[in-house]
Amino acid sequence: MNWLKRLFSRRRIYGELSEEIREHLEEKVEELVAGGMPRKEAAAAARRAFGNVTLAEEDGREVWRWPRVENMIEDARYGLRVLRKSPGFTAVAVMTLALGIGANTAIFSVVNAVLFRPLPFRDPGRLMVVWHTPPQKSFPGVTKFVVSPANYLDWRDQNHVFEQMSAVGFGNFNLTGMGQPESVEGRAVSADFFSVLGVQPVLGREFLEEEDQPGHGNVVVISHEFWQTHFGGSKDVLGSQIKLDDKSYEVVGVAPAKFDFPFQAKLWVPLAWTEKERAVRGNHGYTVIARLKPEIEMKKAQSEMDTISARLAQQYPADDAGWGAVVLRLNLQMFQQVGPALLVLFGAVGFVLLIACANVANLTLAKALGRRKEIAVRRALGASRGRVISLVLTETILISVIGGALALLLAHFVIEAIADFIGPQLPLAVQIGLDGWVLGFTLTISILTGFIAGLAPSWHLTKTNLNESLKQGLGKTDADSSGGRARSVFVAAEVAVSLVLLIGAGLMIRTLYLLKNANSGMDARNVLTVTLGISSEKYATVAQQNGFFHHVLEQIRALPGVEFASAVDSLPLQGGSTQPVAVEGQPVVPMADQPEVAVRLIAPGYLRVMRIPLKQGRDITEADNANARPVVLVSESFARRFWPNENPIGKHVKLTFLPGEASDVVGVVGDVRLNGLSVSEPVQSVYHVMAQNPGTTFMRLAVRTGVPPSSLTSAVTEAIHRVDADEPVVGVQTMEAVVDESIAQNRLNMILLSAFAGLALLLASIGIYGVQAYAVRQRTREVGIRVAMGAQAAEVFRLIIGQGLRLAIIGIVIGLAASFALTRLMASQLYGLSATDPWTFIGVSIVLLTVALAACFIPARRATRIDPVVALRYE
Amino acid sequence: MKNREQRDLFPGALEMMILRTLKRHPLHGYALAQHIKRTSNDLLQIEEGSLYPALQRLLKEELVKAEWGVSSTNRRVRIYKLTGKGAKHLEHEVSRFETMLDGITRVLARGES
Repeated sequence: MNWLKRLFSRRRIYGELSEEIREHLEEKVEELVAGGMPRKEAAAAARRAFGNVTLAEEDGREVWRWPRVENMIEDARYGLRVLRKSPGFTAVAVMTLALGIGANTAIFSVVNAVLFRPLPFRDPGRLMVVWHTPPQKSFPGVTKFVVSPANYLDWRDQNHVFEQMSAVGFGNFNLTGMGQPESVEGRAVSADFFSVLGVQPVLGREFLEEEDQPGHGNVVVISHEFWQTHFGGSKDVLGSQIKLDDKSYEVVGVAPAKFDFPFQAKLWVPLAWTEKERAVRGNHGYTVIARLKPEIEMKKAQSEMDTISARLAQQYPADDAGWGAVVLRLNLQMFQQVGPALLVLFGAVGFVLLIACANVANLTLAKALGRRKEIAVRRALGASRGRVISLVLTETILISVIGGALALLLAHFVIEAIADFIGPQLPLAVQIGLDGWVLGFTLTISILTGFIAGLAPSWHLTKTNLNESLKQGLGKTDADSSGGRARSVFVAAEVAVSLVLLIGAGLMIRTLYLLKNANSGMDARNVLTVTLGISSEKYATVAQQNGFFHHVLEQIRALPGVEFASAVDSLPLQGGSTQPVAVEGQPVVPMADQPEVAVRLIAPGYLRVMRIPLKQGRDITEADNANARPVVLVSESFARRFWPNENPIGKHVKLTFLPGEASDVVGVVGDVRLNGLSVSEPVQSVYHVMAQNPGTTFMRLAVRTGVPPSSLTSAVTEAIHRVDADEPVVGVQTMEAVVDESIAQNRLNMILLSAFAGLALLLASIGIYGVQAYAVRQRTREVGIRVAMGAQAAEVFRLIIGQGLRLAIIGIVIGLAASFALTRLMASQLYGLSATDPWTFIGVSIVLLTVALAACFIPARRATRIDPVVALRYE
Repeated sequence: MKNREQRDLFPGALEMMILRTLKRHPLHGYALAQHIKRTSNDLLQIEEGSLYPALQRLLKEELVKAEWGVSSTNRRVRIYKLTGKGAKHLEHEVSRFETMLDGITRVLARGES
């Protein structure tokens, strides 16, 4: 309690100290006077011998304090007072930092949610994904591939490095018997799936080993959300039957809330492979998740998988030659998808904050130079350099912390917009928002920002010569050239950083423009698409399946407003099946060595609907049915690759996965961007005919309309339900929406980066304006003299503009150099232009120069109006 | 400011001299300053003012205590006394200083020869 007592007795202690010092001085004076010295001289001598009275008293008091804390509080109080006194400066500085910090907070909240939060599984660091690595000859550039059942089973049985290894198949189920038929994201998983992840159902149980056997797999674990929406969260759900693809499944468990792994799953059923399915080695379709044994490192696991792969390749050369395996961390999967784009944005907002920092530093410096006299007086009275620095730092940190609080408000809205946009594509467990981490981040960067913004001004202030400052008065002369230099450096740096951001944004804008105008090889206007997956129970035979789609297409073609309708298994831009093919004229090789090409299944009229040009030969017709000779269409790039100087019509192509004889090539069609607008490399593709294919339960209908396509949505749905009212119609989308979706990520990146670059430009122009305006004020007298000596307004104008222009040009040159180095980091986000696209570089530089000029314009105009008489009387 | 660094010959030196002076008899601030100046033959350039922060430090550590009284010149003064704790501290500091001085002297002597 000693310190508490001291706290209250402090006032007395300070009083005693002052009295004591006073007595001391008096005693000394008395003594000197008694020795014969005049009183006036004696007083001075006493003070000289004593030294700095205030300082001695201050130091004496400080003994009783917690100096750091108390100084800080005192500085903060003083800082607040100063800020209140100059509301204009405070508002600009606070807003500047609020924008900079807000942008950072928003992007960090996304980075935090998407990349930094651990997966909600037990010990997620030990969870791995094991992919196939396909032979590069057949899949150039593809590094990860899904796994075939037989290989998965061999991996699982032969490895000694994983505790457990689970396979997951993706798919959709048609849910019927619960109101409207609907298509539900389901996963077929091995029995140990939940225990590999370490996730326990909240109700019921996970799968039993025997349920993974053929004929016993009619059990289902439903997601928490599905439980809520379809069973109202009732505890009686266990034992209920639900109908998936016309088969009954018993609900045995409910997964925990927010669990939708992998990727937005609503329910899980056992794989329950038959003996025949277990033996499939050449057809890949499963994702493999495994948990490392304790103490086993990834490297060891990788080398073990290499050994097993080599063995399998030797054992089954036809299917496994060239196929390897790669072990990757599960928690890096997400990162690889969105990481690069997010890091570019994070870099961008970092730059924005740097500019904001520079602006505030500039403002503080300009203001502080006006306070040089105050600072000089403080120093003269014995304030140490550190004390003055801390005074200025406290002020800038106050500004940035207030700015940070405001930034949270700004970020809140930006985050909501971003979450609305990308949230639906993220797993449920990923929640973008303001959590403790984000708040901590914001607080940290706020303080750091204030510190950085205050460092240069305070360092500069304390460096100046005391006597000079005191003599000089208010600091309105031309003498603080070094302060001017510091500000010039800031401005040039701001211009440079803005240029980097603007070039980044410019590249993104041009990318989006080029993507939107890219020739996709088809015509997306006036096309409506519908996803249709039918039950394989109800439509068990090939004839039934093909018959269903045939009837549906007939119904739709008869609708008013419909020009034509057709079907394809995967729409352009969205990827799809690649398969090995044997091509006439090529050497006969085992399947593993066969070339892989895109294979699409179409109904007649597909070319007409998508307006894909027929380059040679004929289109497929209704006559190309199951009884006719099998035929295919090939793309131009396919024909060019395999028959460069021959007529492709009449050649033969054998799709390895298709039973029966090789197909005749009857037509050559234009190349279509099957794998996304940004993949401009032509996709060698083969189109084969639905009627000649051994059945399919999943097609995308494509309808060309003479009216706005979305107006036909309900008519098309009704037409389908006239054929079968139990089949769910999902994903009704115009083809233009499909195109937009494929560039949605590019658009979001473009919008955000442009917004940040715009912000940077705004801040930088405020910075330039501020410095020029200050410079004009500072040079009032000089300009006055010039005018008095006969300088013309135009000369004065040029003088001021020239100064600003010089800074802008220096900044632009540095910024161009930095951009050359930095933009290549975003090369993966660009399309159709190089990361150092000269037009963007030149165009953006001109824009920036223009803005810089505009920012100098007002101060320069003001300089021309300086009246020499007023200016010279000024001091 | 420079005098801050110059004031203490080495950290704690001034405090040690104050304690040693007070050990002989209690004194008030001014007399203490004059005594230290005089006995050091003015060799140590000590600002009188620097005495007071040092005295405050000693007060806080309870190595000295202070009472208001009246001086021989009939002036209200604050008289400082050594406490028991102060005496012990002084002993400890002096022996530490002597060891240090001894060490420095030896090094200097070796350097000369």
